[in-house]
Amino acid sequence: MSDIKTKKRKTWKNPLAVWGAKGGNHEVPTPEWKNPHQIWRDTKAFKVPTTKIGRFHYEYKSSNHGEKIWNRLRWWPTRRTILWTQGVYNRKSLKPEKIRKDKRPIFWFLSLLALAIMPFILPDGFKNSLLTAGGIFGIYASINLCWTLVIGTAGIFSLATYAIVGMSAFLTTWLSINLGLPWWMLPMIGMFVGLAFGVIIALPALRLDGFYYGLLTLGLNELCRVFITTSHAFGAASGGLYGADTFVDDNWAPMTQTLVQYYSGFALLIAALFLFRFVDGKRLGRILKLAPEKKEAFAEASGVNYKRARVTVFLISSIALGFIGGFYAAYYRGSAFDIFSFHTVIMGLAMITIGGIGRADGAVAGTLIIVVLDRVLVELGPYRYIIIGLIMMFTILFLKNGLFGIRKQFRDWRDKKKGEARSSRLERGGEMLPEQATEMDNKDEIYRKRYDKMQREFLKTLICDEIIEEHKQKPLGQHSEALERVCYYFRRGAMNDKYVVKCEVPFKKYKIMALSGVRGRSPRLVEDKIYDTVEAAYHGLFLRRIQDLMEA
Amino acid sequence: MAEIKVFGYTDKLSVKPGDNLDFHVSADGTDTADAQLVRIIHGDEHPNGPGYMDEKIESEINGKWKVKKQFTQLGSFLKAKDPNNKLAIDGDFTIFGYVNSSTPHTGSHQWIFCRWDNKTNEGFGIGINKDGYFELVVGDGKEVDYLVSELPVIKKVWYFVAATFNYKSGEASLYQEGVVNRYNSLIGKVVPYDYRSHTQTTFRFKQKNNPTTPFIVGGAIDDHELRGKFVSGTFAGKVDRHGVCKKVLSRKELDKICAGELPDKESIVAYWDTTKGYSEKGINNTVIDIGPNKLNSVGYNHPVRAMTGWNWSGKNDSFRLSPNEYGGIDFHPDAITDAGWEVTKSMTIPENLKSGIYAVRLRAGNGTGLGEEYIVFFVRPKTPKSKICFLVPTASYLAYANEKLSFEAQIIQPMTGQPPTISDIDVEQYKNPEFGLSTYDSYADGAGVCFTSYKRPILNMRPKYRTSGMGITWQFPADLSITGWLEHHYKDYDIVTDEDLHKEGLDAIKPYKCVITGTHPEYTSEKMLDAMEDYVSQGGRFIYMGGNGFYWVVGFYEDEPWCMEVRKLDAGMRAWAAKPGEYYMQTTGERGGLWRSRGRAPQKFAGVGFIAEGFDTAEPLRKMPDAWHRTVSWITEGVDGEIIGDHGLAYGGAAGVELDRYDLSLGTPPHTKIISSSGGHSDNYVLVTEELLYAYAGLVGSLDYRIRADMTYFTAPNDGAVFSTGSIAYGQALPSNNFNNSASTVLKNVVDAFIKDGKLPGGMWTLEEKQWK
Repeated sequence: MSDIKTKKRKTWKNPLAVWGAKGGNHEVPTPEWKNPHQIWRDTKAFKVPTTKIGRFHYEYKSSNHGEKIWNRLRWWPTRRTILWTQGVYNRKSLKPEKIRKDKRPIFWFLSLLALAIMPFILPDGFKNSLLTAGGIFGIYASINLCWTLVIGTAGIFSLATYAIVGMSAFLTTWLSINLGLPWWMLPMIGMFVGLAFGVIIALPALRLDGFYYGLLTLGLNELCRVFITTSHAFGAASGGLYGADTFVDDNWAPMTQTLVQYYSGFALLIAALFLFRFVDGKRLGRILKLAPEKKEAFAEASGVNYKRARVTVFLISSIALGFIGGFYAAYYRGSAFDIFSFHTVIMGLAMITIGGIGRADGAVAGTLIIVVLDRVLVELGPYRYIIIGLIMMFTILFLKNGLFGIRKQFRDWRDKKKGEARSSRLERGGEMLPEQATEMDNKDEIYRKRYDKMQREFLKTLICDEIIEEHKQKPLGQHSEALERVCYYFRRGAMNDKYVVKCEVPFKKYKIMALSGVRGRSPRLVEDKIYDTVEAAYHGLFLRRIQDLMEA
Repeated sequence: MAEIKVFGYTDKLSVKPGDNLDFHVSADGTDTADAQLVRIIHGDEHPNGPGYMDEKIESEINGKWKVKKQFTQLGSFLKAKDPNNKLAIDGDFTIFGYVNSSTPHTGSHQWIFCRWDNKTNEGFGIGINKDGYFELVVGDGKEVDYLVSELPVIKKVWYFVAATFNYKSGEASLYQEGVVNRYNSLIGKVVPYDYRSHTQTTFRFKQKNNPTTPFIVGGAIDDHELRGKFVSGTFAGKVDRHGVCKKVLSRKELDKICAGELPDKESIVAYWDTTKGYSEKGINNTVIDIGPNKLNSVGYNHPVRAMTGWNWSGKNDSFRLSPNEYGGIDFHPDAITDAGWEVTKSMTIPENLKSGIYAVRLRAGNGTGLGEEYIVFFVRPKTPKSKICFLVPTASYLAYANEKLSFEAQIIQPMTGQPPTISDIDVEQYKNPEFGLSTYDSYADGAGVCFTSYKRPILNMRPKYRTSGMGITWQFPADLSITGWLEHHYKDYDIVTDEDLHKEGLDAIKPYKCVITGTHPEYTSEKMLDAMEDYVSQGGRFIYMGGNGFYWVVGFYEDEPWCMEVRKLDAGMRAWAAKPGEYYMQTTGERGGLWRSRGRAPQKFAGVGFIAEGFDTAEPLRKMPDAWHRTVSWITEGVDGEIIGDHGLAYGGAAGVELDRYDLSLGTPPHTKIISSSGGHSDNYVLVTEELLYAYAGLVGSLDYRIRADMTYFTAPNDGAVFSTGSIAYGQALPSNNFNNSASTVLKNVVDAFIKDGKLPGGMWTLEEKQWK
C-alpha cells in the first residue's frame, strides 16, 4: 500500500478508553476529518452527455382476449400453436399484448404462394424461360435441402451429393432404356441407388473428419464422372444418356409441358421441405443439436448416440437424393455428364453457403439466387460467374452464416457497438446511465448504485497508512471514525464476491475466499496465501478490500 | 475418488436408559465408518481454554458401521389418501383451485394440482410451465398434450385457476382469473395488470392413469434408479381451497367457484377445504376433503398452514377470528423437516450410562474434516440423582440448525463487525440443500423459514464447531463450556433438555436443587416457560447462564417433538418477518413473536432481558455497589478486586456477544439487585429493535448507557432464587485458566449456595439500614 500517502494527521481518541478499552488503542493517529456530504453537494450531473431514450410503439400488437375465450389453434396434426403466439405484459405499461414468437410460417406461406401462382402472373415474353428455370430451381433446391441435412444437420462435410443424384439419374435412365421401365418407377429405383451409394459414402465418414472427408467425397464425385463419361453404356460419345421414359408428353403443347415440369419441380421442393422438417426438427435433428461440433465427446458421455443419428440422417438424405436422381431422369429423359462436373459441385456449394448453411430457408433462397443468375440472366454471359463468385466472396468475408444469418449477425454487431459505447461512457463502478436503467426492473437498484458510488468516492479520500496501521493493530472493536466508516462500507457489501476468512486448521491456518452469492454454490479461493492467525487473515482481507475500493 | 463424507442424525435428541435410539447415517465415498461412543465434556478448541475433551465409552455399537449414500426428499407438498383411486379419472374432469405463486419464473416446471408421474408422463394436472404460465397437462405415457394460458402468472398475487377436459371430444380449457383484493396480494388494484385468461384447444391425446400415481398438491411423483420414488417439480407458493370434479364444468359454474361457492355436489370427486380443521389449538398436517370420498391429503415436510387465503379481508389477524379467510397453505421447494433416511444402527441406552451429553463419533477415510462426524444426543438419568440439572436449550439448537447467514445475509457482517470465518463444514452445508435451513434463513422464494427439525444432520450441533459469522462457539459447542465447568467442579450433574421440559413440564426439573441454563436459551415454548416459572416460584433455584434468553415463542405438535415452529414478527432482532396476518402458530394456535409482546418479557422471570448485541469484542463486568450488601456479598466472595470475567474464549470477556439488562418497566422483580455490570462496549453493540420507539442516532455502545450486561440476583418464594449472568459470553469465560477465574468463582459461589438445603445465604440482612456514612 505504498501508493497510499500519509494524510494530514490528527489524533482520534477512543471514547471507550475510560473503560479501559482492550487492544490499547486509546489514541490513534488518523487523517483529518472530511465531510462525507461534500461529494453529494459537488456532484450535480453525469460526467458524460445524456440523451433521451425510448422507442415509439409503432408496431401493432393485438391486445389480450380478457374474458373472451381464446381458442389456441394448432398446426394440424401437431401440438404447436399457430405462430407460437403468446400473451405477455408490456414491461413499461403492464398492458397485455400478444407476441408471435415464430413468424417463419408467414414468410414460407407467402413465398410458396408466390411460386404457386408464378405461371399466372409472369409476363408472356419471359414466361417460358422463367418457368423452365423455375423447374430447375425446384429440383436444385430439393437437392440442396438434402445436402443441407448432410452438411448442416448431420455435420458431415460431403461433396458427393451430386454424385448420388447423377449416379441415380444415369442408372435409372439406363434401366429405363434397356428394360423399358415406366417413368414413375425411376424415382423408386433411384432410392435404392441412393441408399447403396449412401452406405458406401457413409462408411468413411465414421473415421474421417472435415477437410479430408471433403476431399474424399470430391474424389468419389470425380470417379463417378470418369466412370460414366468413359463408359459406352452410359453414352460416352453423346455427352450424356437420354431416352428414359418421362411424365412429360411430347404431344402436349409446349406451354403445357413447361407447366407440368414447373409444377412437378415445385411439388418436389415441397416434398423436400417436409423431409427437411421431419428430419431436422424431430428426434434425429434434436439429438444432433445436442452434439454440436467440438462438443461431441461431452454429448456422447451424456448418453447421446450422435454417431448413429449422423449416419441415419446421411442415409435418409442419400435415399432422398437417389429419389431426386430418378425424378431428374424422368424429368429430363436422362442426364448429361454435366451433373458430375466440378462446376456443378461449386454451384451447389454456392447455393447453400449464400443462404446460410444448415437452414432450409437458406438453402432455398441461395438456390433461387444462383438459378436466377445462372439460368435467367443468361445474356450476361461469363460475367454471371464473376457475379456469383463475388457474392460468394462477400458472403464468406462478411456474413457469418449467409443471408439468413444477417439478422442475428446484425444484432450481435449492435450489441458489440452498445458494449463499446457503454465502456467509453461508463465509469467503473459508477452510476447507471439512462440507457442502462431501462434494463433494470428494480429501480431501487439504480439508486443503490448511485449511493454506492458517492460513498466510495468519499471513502477513497480516507484511505491512508494510518487507518491501515490502525486496522492491523486491532482488526475488531472500536475504531477511529475514518477506519470505522471504511469498515462499515465493506461489511455492508453485496454477497457476491464478498470476502470471507476460510479456516483450514483452527487457530493455525487461515486463507481468504470469496462468496458466490448464489445459494448452494461454493465460495472460491482468491489467493493461496496462508495466515497464521485469524487476526492476520482479517487484515489480509481488509487490504484486499482496500485494493478493490481504490481500483473501482 | 469422491471426497469421503459422513453425516448423521438420531431419531430422538433426549433419551433415558432403556430407550431405543436410531442412528441415520449417509456417507459419500465410503461404505464403512468407525463408530465410537463418547461422552462430551468440553467442546471449544480455543487455545485459552482446556480444548476439546471427551470420554470414550465402551459400547456394543462401537466398531465398524456399514454406511451408504442416502437421499432426502426436499420440498413441501400434500399427498391425497386415495386408496380406491377415485382420482384416477379416465373421463371428463375439472381441476380447480386458488393459487398464489411466489416464484412463477424459475425456469423449470412446477406442479400445483396433479395426478402426474414425471418419469412416465402419465396422468393429468395443472402446473406452471417453465416460462411462468399456468398449464393444463395430460399424458398417456407416450405422448403429452398441454394447454397454456394466455398471460404469465404474476408473483404473489391470488388467482383462481381451473382446467376442464372433455375426454371424448378432447376439448380442453384453462380458466384463469385474478382474485386480488385490497389486502390479499403483494400488489393492489392500481396496477394495470389484466389477470384474466380463458384458453381452449382440442387435445390429440388423453390421460392414462397409473394406479400407483398419487394425487399431489405442489409436486409430482418421480422415480430414480438409485433413489426410488420421490416427488419432483415442487411448487413455491400458496394454494387455497381446491378440488377435482368428474365432469366438465361450464364457464358459469367456474365463475361461481371462483367467487367462493362450492361446485355442484354430484360432480365432486374431492374438494379440499383448507379452512377446515382449525381450532383454538391450531391446525394439523391433514387437509380435509369435504367431498363424498373423504380423500384427505397429508402434508410432507410441513407445508405452512395458518396462512392468509385468497379471501383474506385484512380485518382479522388470526385464523382464530376468521378461519374461513385462512385457507392459505404455503409450499417451499427447499423445505425439509424429516430427511427420512433409513436406520443405519440402533442402540438401547444401557442402564449404567450416566446422564450426560453423548455422541457417536464416526470416522471414515482419514477421519478428519468431513470424514469425521459427531452425532450428538442427550442422556437423562432414569431417576434424577444429582442436585444440579443442566437444562440443554435444544429448542434454540433447532432454531439455529444449519444457519447460512455468513453466506447469504448481508446484515451478518455489519452485525458481527467482522468478516465470517468459514470452515469446510460450513461450505458443505451450504452446498447441500438436503441439510435444510434454519429459522434464520429464508426459503429460495423469499419467505422466512418457520419450521426446523432435528430429523436431519445438524452440522453446527457438534463439538469443536465455531459459528462462521462470529468465529466463536455458539449454542451447543458454547454450552459445552458450562458442562466442562460442571465436570471440573462438581462431576455430578444431570441433563434435561428443552424437549423434556416441554413434554413433562415442571416434573422434569422439580427434583433438582439447582437448574442451570445454556448460554443462549432464546427459544421457549409456553410449557417450558411455565415449568421454569413454577419451578422458581415453588422454591427452585435457577441460574440463567446466558444472554437473549426466553425470547421467541415457539410451538411443537405434541406427536412431533423433533419439529419446531416459530413465527418472527412485530419487533425483536429477527432474520425475517412474518407476512401480515400470519402471526399465529399452526402447531398451538398461540400468537408467535416475542414473549415480551405477549406480556412475558424475560425480565419478569429472569430479572434481565435482551438489550444489545455485537460480536466484535467483549468486556468484563465490574461489581456494582449493591454487590457489597450482605444479602448478596457472598456471591462475589473470593473475587480479587472489582472486575469479574476479564478473560474468556469469546472475545476475551465475560460480558459480550449478546447482553441482557435489568429493567423494572419490563417486570424485573422489584427486589432484584444488580451484582455487577459491564460497560465500554464498542459501537458495534447496538440497541435491540424491540426497545426502539423512535430510531435516532447514537443507540450504540459508547453513547447509550443501556447497552450493558447486568448480573442480577433475586429471591423467590419458598427459598427459591434466580441468578442471571447477563450475557452469552459468560459461559465461554468459565474455562479460562483451567476453570479457575473470577467468573468461575462467582458462579461456584452461587451453585454451592443453591445446592445446599435450607435457607439461602444473606437472607437475614434485610432490615432497613441506619447509616452513619
